[in-house]
Amino acid sequence: RPGLQHKLLRLPLSRIKGLMKADPDVSLASQEAVFAIGKATELFVEVIAKDAYSFALRGKRKTIQRKDVDNAVDATDEFAFLEGTLD
Amino acid sequence: MASASGNSDDDLTIPRAAINKIIKQILPNVRVANDAREMVVNCCTEFIHLVSSEANEICNRSDKKTISPEHIMQALVSLGFGSYITEVKEVLRECKTVALERRKANARLENLGIPEEELLRQQQELFAKARQQQAELAQQEWLQMQQAAQQAQLAATTANKAGSSQDEEEEEDT
Repeated sequence: RPGLQHKLLRLPLSRIKGLMKADPDVSLASQEAVFAIGKATELFVEVIAKDAYSFALRGKRKTIQRKDVDNAVDATDEFAFLEGTLD
Repeated sequence: MASASGNSDDDLTIPRAAINKIIKQILPNVRVANDAREMVVNCCTEFIHLVSSEANEICNRSDKKTISPEHIMQALVSLGFGSYITEVKEVLRECKTVALERRKANARLENLGIPEEELLRQQQELFAKARQQQAELAQQEWLQMQQAAQQAQLAATTANKAGSSQDEEEEEDT
């Protein structure tokens, strides 16, 4: 049945679970919780990619560069936790 | 910060291919530099750690021991990602549907399963039936053989008698 075979997430559940478990302070999460955070992460990727793209366009470029992602991080309050990532 | 062993939990990231797919779907004809992609991959790791920690604190404050999807959603709102909730809720609904379909499929499969004693009984029945059919067939064949033998004997006797009378007939014709 096609309905049962349709993937719910584009990110691998096992890896998300692994990332959560990597923090020893974090309790066990239910499978639905892993789905929830997985979906949120997918949305996060979409938002940051679109934001970075708008900075590339502003720079009259067609390729998204690292600095566009940096600008996207700086421009959004919620992305403050990303300051200093990959330094 | 590179680690010596390949299995350190700190090296975990979301696979690049999965991120690339999402970016491709949302920005179909846009090129993305490799270091920009690398940055997004690492941002995902940070995002998951951030939301997990927040959800964990919310979970600790509740009476639950396991982090639930509700805790995740509360964490998202608290961290400023409330706009994600609608789609997260949708995925959770789909989760429940898939789980329900799977349980129904399993239940149907279990009902088809026949207990072992019943299977053995059915097997015995089949063997008995087969033996009976074989016996009947054998008996039929035996009867046919007997009939054939009788007919053959009869034909032989008639032929002998007919052989002598046939000579007489032939003489009469000519």
